[in-house]
Amino acid sequence: MSIIVPPYLHKGDTVGLICPAGYMSAERTQTCIAVLTSWGYKVKVGKTVGHQFHYFSGTDAERLADLQDMLDDSDVHAILCARGGYGTSRIIDDINWKKFKQQPKWIIGYSDITVLHCHLFQRLKTASLHAPMAGAFVDAGGEDAFTLTLKNALSGESLKYEAPFVSSNRTGRATGALIGGNLSLIAHLTGTPSMPDTNGAILFLEDIGEYLYNIDRMLLQLDRAEKLNQLGGLIIGGFTDIKDTTIPFGQNIHELIQNRISTYDFPVAFDFPVSHTNENVALRIGMKHTMVVNNNGTTLKSVSV
Amino acid sequence: MRRRNFLQYLAPLGAGLLGGQELLARTTDPAMKLGPNPPYLKPGDMLGITCPAGSIEPKDARYTEVMVAKWGFKTRVGSTVGKHWQRFAGTDMERAADFQRMIDDPYIRAIIFGRGGYGVIRMMDYINWDNFKKHPKWLVGFSDITALHCHVNRNFSIPTIHARMAGGFNAVEDESEISLRDILSGKQVDYRWKAHPLNRAGKATGMLVGGNLSMIYAMQASQSELDTTQKILFLEDVSEYKYTIDRMLMNLKRSGKLHNLAGLIIGGFTGIKEEEVDGFFSMSLEEIILEKVKEFSFPVSFGFPAGHQKPNLAIKLGMHYTLFTGIGESNLTEITDPHPALPLQPFLDSIAPPPADSIIQIP
Repeated sequence: MSIIVPPYLHKGDTVGLICPAGYMSAERTQTCIAVLTSWGYKVKVGKTVGHQFHYFSGTDAERLADLQDMLDDSDVHAILCARGGYGTSRIIDDINWKKFKQQPKWIIGYSDITVLHCHLFQRLKTASLHAPMAGAFVDAGGEDAFTLTLKNALSGESLKYEAPFVSSNRTGRATGALIGGNLSLIAHLTGTPSMPDTNGAILFLEDIGEYLYNIDRMLLQLDRAEKLNQLGGLIIGGFTDIKDTTIPFGQNIHELIQNRISTYDFPVAFDFPVSHTNENVALRIGMKHTMVVNNNGTTLKSVSV
Repeated sequence: MRRRNFLQYLAPLGAGLLGGQELLARTTDPAMKLGPNPPYLKPGDMLGITCPAGSIEPKDARYTEVMVAKWGFKTRVGSTVGKHWQRFAGTDMERAADFQRMIDDPYIRAIIFGRGGYGVIRMMDYINWDNFKKHPKWLVGFSDITALHCHVNRNFSIPTIHARMAGGFNAVEDESEISLRDILSGKQVDYRWKAHPLNRAGKATGMLVGGNLSMIYAMQASQSELDTTQKILFLEDVSEYKYTIDRMLMNLKRSGKLHNLAGLIIGGFTGIKEEEVDGFFSMSLEEIILEKVKEFSFPVSFGFPAGHQKPNLAIKLGMHYTLFTGIGESNLTEITDPHPALPLQPFLDSIAPPPADSIIQIP
């Protein structure tokens, strides 16, 4: 499958900033705006930034309109979602992609934004960026090694990431389209038109605040929906703030995942820096990557086209 | 056609004729054909108790044994009762084997599960349903057991019972247990419950399917996925955040599961968790649900007394009902059984001989 790669950014290009899901204060986006400016980009702040409708950053109609405006604005070259939360899937079916198809642009974010990534991959065959959002810039005090990967990704540099050897890994090598994101959100897309075809793909997963049994159930859901059986490779990022029940699940997260994929033989890499912590690198979803897992650790790099 | 090719063709054809059940299961659209109705229980019939998910203790099963004995039924307690492995009543294989034994045991006429929790999805793909299809029996449970309700409905169109489980039985029988006794004995359902002010009035007729929302969600896009077309969908859940309920309903909506419903029945949504942020969702549970079906016109009835609550009235899923949602009350009435009566070999008997033109001629 060929994937449409939006144009990389040049100095002077404009990044649109929006909140398509949960609320975020305008103040909390300031560090991100300052860093984007220091990288030479202009920032266009959308109406949903700092706007609030209960939990959300606006009503469905307001969030949709802000995203639609940024998609349709020919002076906006990339769209950075300031935060996730919940709400993207409430508006995704009402987006008009006509202008976006004429002028593809990088859509950036993670967590709830996984809905957009999967939809862009599956329906629009367009690459997008799973990358740090506004909060990460605050936590990093501006620019750090992880937020900097967003700059590299946006400016078109080739990306290569390494993770240390973990004994839970399964060695091997795979080349395929990189897809993934938040496990809960990928499970949430099961059976919908946004669910990605994972055949031959390198799938990466991360999540936060879930019960072990629920992670087990979501992985079974993906497996029973035949989303794991044809994978090229699997990358496991951070599963942070994991919860357990009164009667313990009895396996840690590595054991749980190993058990779920024990009948397959694709390579598996644990502890990859993609997560809800500061250790979250920019990944170009939809583009061809090669993953190598061996006794030295894991490498993931984009394959030049 | 060369002989080699002919033999290649013959092999699967012959296998199909010999294994008639598999052939029919593959080629029949369950929405179009009803599976047989499990026989209702007569005095002296036996119920099996097994735990496919979480565990219960033998003393918990004892309440069920005593009460069921009063109803005139015998019980057989499975090897998973009192067993523990991690959070489950035995390993996945142990739980599958215990359930399998009860499916295959011709003396067991109904299987009541010990409890839900979590675990059916881990063992259900190990089950061989051949004997169940030939000699169906009532499966009784809810919550995590919804995985089995969905799988059996989708693949065999055989009715199952959504009801309180063995772990929930008490010393003195209550409304929930009496409703299960009545259903097992073959009494037709006619439930009436108080109308909720946000109900959408109307009348619907169709097969009742559903159960626990989280489990219906977990079955999506799998071989156990629920077909909801022209069905009356029943939903209940427990201890979820409103945003999670909204997200699961969005999944059902985006996958087309709410578009062609005949009707919607909402049971208990109990123990909804406090959101981390005040006023997280401005909508009530009823508003969250109504928002997902606002462009459709089928009746919606809230407050059906079933789920993780008291009472948890027993209902047969996979059977046909008339749902009436009026101003004062809602009413769910079983339609005289449209399922085929149970011949000895219902599936084999219903296979038509292959048409003549499918017989391959050797030149």
